Amino acid sequence: MPRKPGVYVCTGCSIGDAVDAGQLAKIATKECKVPVCRVHPFLCGAEGREAIRQDIESGAVDTVVVAACSSRSKAEAFSFNHGTVVERVNLREHVAWSHTPHDEDTEMLAADYLRMGIARALKTEPLEAMSGEISATVLVVGGGTAGITAAREAADAGYDVVLVENGASLGGFMAGVEKRFPAGPPYGSLKADGFSELLHAVAYHPRIRVYTSTRILKTAGQPGMFDVTLATEAGEATVRAGAIVVATGWQPYDASRLAHLGYGLTPDVITNVEFERLAHGPGIHGSMRRPSDGQPVRTILFVQCAGSRDPQHLRYCSSVCCMATLKHILNIREHSPDTQVFVVYKDIRTPGQYERFYRAAQDHPLNFFTKGEIAAVEKAGDGRLRVSAHNTLIGESIQLDVDMVVLATGMVPRSAEQTLNLTYRQGPELPVIGQGFPDSHFVCFPYETRRTGIYAAGAVRLPMDSEHAREDAMGAALKAIQSIELAKRGRAVHPRAGDASFPNFSLQRCTQCKRCTEECPFGALDEDTKGTPKPNLYRCRRCGICMGACPERIVSFRNYSVDMIATMIKAIEVPEEDEEKPRVLAFMCENDAYPALDLAGFERRQYDASVRVIPLRCLGSLNIVWIADALSRGIDGVMLIGCKYGDDYQCHFTKGSELAARRLDNVKETLQRLQLEPERLQLTQLAIDEWGKLPSLFNDFVDRIRELGPNPYKGF
Amino acid sequence: MAGAVAIQPDTDFIRDVMRLGGEDLKKCSQCAACTSVCSLSTAEDGFPRKQVLAAQWGLKENVVADPAPWLCFYCGECSKTCTRGVSPGEIMMALRRYLTTEYDFTGLSRLMYRSGVWEIGILLAVAAMVALLFTLPASFGFGLLSQSGPAPLSTVMLDKFAPKEIVHIGDTMLAVLLSSLLLVNAVRMFVRLTRGEKIPARYYAHCAVNLLVQAATQIRWRDCQDRDAFRNWLRHFLLVTGYGTIFTLVVVFLPWFQIEDKSFHWTSILGYYSTAVLLATTAWILLDRIRQRTEMHRFSHLSDWLFPILLFLTAFSGILLHIFRLMDRPMPTYGMYVAHLCIAVPMLVVEVPFGKWAHLLYRPLAIFVVAARNDAHRLRG
Repeated sequence: MPRKPGVYVCTGCSIGDAVDAGQLAKIATKECKVPVCRVHPFLCGAEGREAIRQDIESGAVDTVVVAACSSRSKAEAFSFNHGTVVERVNLREHVAWSHTPHDEDTEMLAADYLRMGIARALKTEPLEAMSGEISATVLVVGGGTAGITAAREAADAGYDVVLVENGASLGGFMAGVEKRFPAGPPYGSLKADGFSELLHAVAYHPRIRVYTSTRILKTAGQPGMFDVTLATEAGEATVRAGAIVVATGWQPYDASRLAHLGYGLTPDVITNVEFERLAHGPGIHGSMRRPSDGQPVRTILFVQCAGSRDPQHLRYCSSVCCMATLKHILNIREHSPDTQVFVVYKDIRTPGQYERFYRAAQDHPLNFFTKGEIAAVEKAGDGRLRVSAHNTLIGESIQLDVDMVVLATGMVPRSAEQTLNLTYRQGPELPVIGQGFPDSHFVCFPYETRRTGIYAAGAVRLPMDSEHAREDAMGAALKAIQSIELAKRGRAVHPRAGDASFPNFSLQRCTQCKRCTEECPFGALDEDTKGTPKPNLYRCRRCGICMGACPERIVSFRNYSVDMIATMIKAIEVPEEDEEKPRVLAFMCENDAYPALDLAGFERRQYDASVRVIPLRCLGSLNIVWIADALSRGIDGVMLIGCKYGDDYQCHFTKGSELAARRLDNVKETLQRLQLEPERLQLTQLAIDEWGKLPSLFNDFVDRIRELGPNPYKGF
Repeated sequence: MAGAVAIQPDTDFIRDVMRLGGEDLKKCSQCAACTSVCSLSTAEDGFPRKQVLAAQWGLKENVVADPAPWLCFYCGECSKTCTRGVSPGEIMMALRRYLTTEYDFTGLSRLMYRSGVWEIGILLAVAAMVALLFTLPASFGFGLLSQSGPAPLSTVMLDKFAPKEIVHIGDTMLAVLLSSLLLVNAVRMFVRLTRGEKIPARYYAHCAVNLLVQAATQIRWRDCQDRDAFRNWLRHFLLVTGYGTIFTLVVVFLPWFQIEDKSFHWTSILGYYSTAVLLATTAWILLDRIRQRTEMHRFSHLSDWLFPILLFLTAFSGILLHIFRLMDRPMPTYGMYVAHLCIAVPMLVVEVPFGKWAHLLYRPLAIFVVAARNDAHRLRG
């Protein structure tokens, strides 16, 4: 069925003052043969929208091209009934607000954007969401603070929960803790935890099935339909789950690697976790005694950051150990008022209001704190330990003879062990970042892992105390619920939440190169024995990285395809060589780079009008054929602007911009063979707050292209 | 480890400092905002962070050898700036109290600073002894010190009641005694400040003028940058001039000051000046302490109350004595004479060698030692 496009040019928001709308209408109707074209001074107003709606309802238009503001504005105003394709042409931020009004180049820019928008619209098919039978059960792995909280939250929200715990009972580390540090004002004293109440609520919740002493043998399937095989005490069992919360918690850092801090020297050097257990027994209740010989403990020294923030051990801060030590000090104070307590720290880290607890714990004549580095822990005479520290606040190296040393060791995420046993092509466990954390980006996308529908919560995700683990579990439970609900609607989860498109694989043309199955950051694609991809669409995040990876161009979305972008490139009018008007194509990531350019427009920053921007779902969806298309069309340079990659990446799909960079390197080699300067291609990493750099980025690149001279393939 | 200092906190010292006004001591987290905001702190003599740390850790030797507590004039900017709500200014004050007890070889100072009962007890005991001097030897009343028989009750004859030659001998003896005690304490202070580093005598000679100027003018105070610095300095300076004037009159010029006739006398002008200044400044200080609006006056140890109260009462009883004498009212005059001495003498006995008064010497001495040491460092290269 032939498409019936309509073009609507808005002249509001000073667009009309910058470009000739009549000329644009002429391009639409004459050049692009669009039957319906209207110019309106206030398109997003009731009257403007009504005009569009009438054209749709009368059947004159089924594909709407709105040439007005950025697609990031007025999305509500320009969404019409289901089945109508809407395409936005950004005349406001990218043309009117950022270029000289009525300049010849500005007019050419607007015209190109309109041509590209029409081309894109005509290549867009209406979407049909996928459908399937979706399980609304949440599987929670791990029965510690985070796990039981997530289970309770999800169950209270009306979802069935299966809670699987490796150990014999629920509760995790906190079940063995008598008193915890305060979570609320005035933060001055220890409190007994309300933990047993939570445990009770979970154990008897009608929606929660608890499996203790249980491991997961296999996790197959995809969000909405995970098939999980459990090895319980009573034998194997299978569970179908819609989403999974992984709350496997932490384990203390292996203190046997801390011999330089005296661990193993005598039984009087113990870890903070060992001290916690000692605090339960007769050790502290009553007078504290040295584990080695039972002599009373008159002096005790805590070594903070024992193996933490140390490139040789754990590079990170566990954020809990300082609070734990302060808690131990208050515990000691309750029973041994005359014991001298020393703390040697790198920094005391008591985030937020916990600072008040630090202040309270300091406030005793016999509590001594100093910054410092432990130089040695040795045996002194009389069964004591001699601790030397340098770079202390006291200004010199110091030596302290103490009865006991407690090493505040950090938290190691329990992510290395076999937990989920996923049947995914990319491996059985959650991919990790940093030193073993399965989280995908703890600032921007907390709880998200690189496996869709599987969310991490608690200390496995990020070192945290039990209070934060509870909050964390609530967040992850909510994420799991969102994942189930979006799966029910056949839609994508974060970061393209609600997107109903999905990739289509024309497998008859597949050459089994496996690039897509290897490159998908979310492990969405499995493989058959020959290497043909087996898509699991509910695992898909719709980034299009598979589309960018595929050399055969067999992957496409109904509203995003290789052909579509190629057509947009073709729609760009490339001036002849003698006109001395270079053309630069900029592929920009929709998540940060494109909105950054909108911001530059808001701020009325001006930049060269030679640049044509095409937004991409992710720079990783860039198919190198587009670069070939552009250069062979005579376009003089191509820019790729996407998110930061590397260890502290900001890519919303974790690996997209990195993959694009790798592909670009390959293309540059080809360019040299074609006698084209590789400088004509440039990839830039840009964070959204760097929007101010964009104008000079464009201008500098265009200047360099001018120096290189026109693309020799122009006109071929 | 080579060169490592074995640390053994002096826990009694910590508790003493906390008791003497440094109760916040342990809450300090060593951010050093106090030192950076202090306009008097220097690279060589940084304070108050360093002193707070030393006190926290019970490093008594470090504190005792440190002149810095006396370099601080308590503008209170550090307390206002503290990120922990601690009052480093008051901790420095507590250290000055502690050091006063530490310098005193008799141990009386420690006794009185630690316990208000002792302090008031000793004041009362000395007052009682003064009163006894006038009353005990008499079967009936006054004049027993005089060889010329009892003082008349019909008209005021102070010289019959308390002959100025005898009083003069008494106050000279008292001055010599108290000065000696104070001097011994000051020597002890000097020894402690210079134990770590011997400074050649010529550098002291170099800075001798400095000692006198500081003692006379407290001019270093003018370097404080807080809003009230000028006001506080001026008030204190006036107080010192008033005190110094009356002190000189009584100790050196008593024969010209304690006069019988009602005719105008040159010493009266000086007497009126110092009375007015003492009454006004001590009342002002006490009012500030009651209001607690400025950092310097927010915390008041008993010793901070007693000194200005006793000074005020001394001046007040002195001027009443003067008025009664001019009105020719013998009984009130003699009574007020005894009362005046019962206030002034205990105040001096307690405060000069053992109490707050001693800072008149300790502070300039510390500044003097620091100046000499810095000179020595500079000139030696």
